[in-house]
Amino acid sequence: MNEWLNEYLFSPFMLSSDGMMAHAGLPPVWTLAVLCAMAFSAVWVCRRQPAAHAPSSVITDWRIRGAFSRWALSSPWVQTVFRLLAAAIFLLAIAAGLWGSDIPERNLATTLTWTIWWTGVIVVVYFVGTAWCAVCPWDSIATWLVRRRLWKRGGETTSLGLRVPRFLRSVWPAIIMFVTLTWFELGWGITVNPYATAVLALSFIVLATFSQLLFERKAFCRHFCSVGRTIGAYAELSPVSLRPVNTDVCASCKTLDCYHGNEDIEPCPTHLLMGTLHENRYCTSCGACTFSCPHQNITWRWQPHRVTEVGEQNLNSPEAWFILALVSLTLFHGLTMLNTWDGLMRGLAAWINPGGGGILLAFSAGMALSMLVPFALYAIAVRSTQALLPEQREFKRLFSFLALPLLPLAFSYHIAHNLTHLIRESQGFIQVLINPFGVDALPLSTAEMHSRHMNPLIPNDITFALQAMLVAVGFYWSLRILQRRIRLVTETPASWRHFSPVLVIVVTTSLLSLWLMMQPMTMRM
Amino acid sequence: MAKDLFVTCCFMAAFALQSSAFAHDVPGKPSHVMSDDPNAPPSLQMESQVGQYHLTLIAFPAFLTPDETGTVNLYAMRVDDGQPFFGEVTFKVRNDSLFSSREETIGTQQIHGDHYSQDFVFEENGDYIIRAEFEADGESHAVDLPLTIGTPSSLGTIGVVIAALLIALIIVNLVQRQRLQRVKTMPQHANDQ
Repeated sequence: MNEWLNEYLFSPFMLSSDGMMAHAGLPPVWTLAVLCAMAFSAVWVCRRQPAAHAPSSVITDWRIRGAFSRWALSSPWVQTVFRLLAAAIFLLAIAAGLWGSDIPERNLATTLTWTIWWTGVIVVVYFVGTAWCAVCPWDSIATWLVRRRLWKRGGETTSLGLRVPRFLRSVWPAIIMFVTLTWFELGWGITVNPYATAVLALSFIVLATFSQLLFERKAFCRHFCSVGRTIGAYAELSPVSLRPVNTDVCASCKTLDCYHGNEDIEPCPTHLLMGTLHENRYCTSCGACTFSCPHQNITWRWQPHRVTEVGEQNLNSPEAWFILALVSLTLFHGLTMLNTWDGLMRGLAAWINPGGGGILLAFSAGMALSMLVPFALYAIAVRSTQALLPEQREFKRLFSFLALPLLPLAFSYHIAHNLTHLIRESQGFIQVLINPFGVDALPLSTAEMHSRHMNPLIPNDITFALQAMLVAVGFYWSLRILQRRIRLVTETPASWRHFSPVLVIVVTTSLLSLWLMMQPMTMRM
Repeated sequence: MAKDLFVTCCFMAAFALQSSAFAHDVPGKPSHVMSDDPNAPPSLQMESQVGQYHLTLIAFPAFLTPDETGTVNLYAMRVDDGQPFFGEVTFKVRNDSLFSSREETIGTQQIHGDHYSQDFVFEENGDYIIRAEFEADGESHAVDLPLTIGTPSSLGTIGVVIAALLIALIIVNLVQRQRLQRVKTMPQHANDQ
């Protein structure tokens, strides 16, 4: 029986109860491996002292990757070429969405945006940090329109240069945009609508352009862009970042060109001062600091296992809320792709409005509930921790402080979930590239769909292994960050016992991620 | 042997089910119906449960052009016993636009076999919503199906975006130029005085 169960669950595709194609979930053998790894890491981390800061190395000193990095940092022109390329592909996708086929799996707009880019950009964050922001076409096109220069500093008449109003000067606009984008993606069904996808892309250009026209530097990147803030938050866990080679050089620097820019190079778009930078969150990897530094002191740094450093970071309240939104919305993505979700929503819609319709209302209610439950549970955990701590701590500060351990859980589940889309749904992309507008194309036939399921980009066993490893590593990192946080929170000796409510949240979130990975996942397109 | 037979049966059942499988259906949005028959035109389908009825509205062909005849079929089955609804169904159409609420009745139909069928022809490109309405158990029931005829012009969207951007760019440029000029002339006035 067990043998058959394993074989069945290892099958590369299956049909859900309502006849829709679904990807097989994580097999029991891998689930067991993850559970063992989680139990082992819990014991390991709880018994050990927090590790010291991990050493880092300068990537440009490396032989192979270093050569590429040196070349990429040699001149703004190299980056400009990449930006031009990304913008050209982006504009082609918009054109395909506006004037191409209505069939989502045959149109470049939907396949590139939702199957390749939006899934792939999260997967690569670990390896390249916030590099996507450096070539982001929304920002590139907006910058070219406003500054009217390919890479040089714009004139004084190009922007009003206003300060961002206080009420917008946080990541709350990005949180709102993230929730809206998720609603459009999973509820309204923008992922299967090429035209709407193109309109969404255009609206991002408009937002970025207006932001640059009105506000100083790049307020859109720092405060409004949900994609940039998501990448930024996850990039905290990436070993790749822009940092000074020698901090003493920065300490003695009088010109601060990285912050102010110079005659040719723009100032830091997100108001960062490299000499005191410890976080990757708001860096857009634009390279302005490397090009403007008169001492050539800024370069790419490689620091694996930087969870100890991350565990010491400060978070303000909106940043903590952003992490909570990331956790709840990534898990919500998984929830909506379960076989039972559709039936649940239809049942809820019939209950809300027995006269028909109301499916979007039901989805919105389901989404709100899926976000509110994690928020409420986290708030209860923080309140309980507050009560357990030997010293009196302000709830608001503790709420922000303890959100960081949840970040690796969101990141690991997000990558594991996206791997399924990327590996099992991206076949046929070459055909779409050859015919981006989907001229004379027909919807995906059953035979094609079956073929895609049977021939994933990499074997299913490897995908399962990667997903299991990601969930386990996410849990381990989360514990390590919590361990570091425990050391920082109070003067008097604090122990795991005082933080057990937060530990429960970490364990529950990990188990929920694991359970979602085990479930068959409905094919998107 | 028994295991192999069971797995084979499962796969055969899976393929049988698959032949009528739909692409991923997002709640509230229509899906393209898959068919192994290459001659069958793709169709658009909307399923919904309204009151005591499970409603399926199918329009084909899915990709219509102006002056081409299309057909919409409504299947209305009771949820409890699977019996079809017997009565009259009215089919209506309206523009799927923020700026137009004009609605027209295409026709009222009696049951034909187990479904209600209505032909239609659109003369202009655009986005439309076809609605099937009927009265049962003293309550009105309705189901909507969005339909795109031809390729709607996207110049409107592009035009609005480009115009808005151009106007904003010009205004900001003019405002900033005036401000800079004012700043430059201020010390000169001070020197003159």
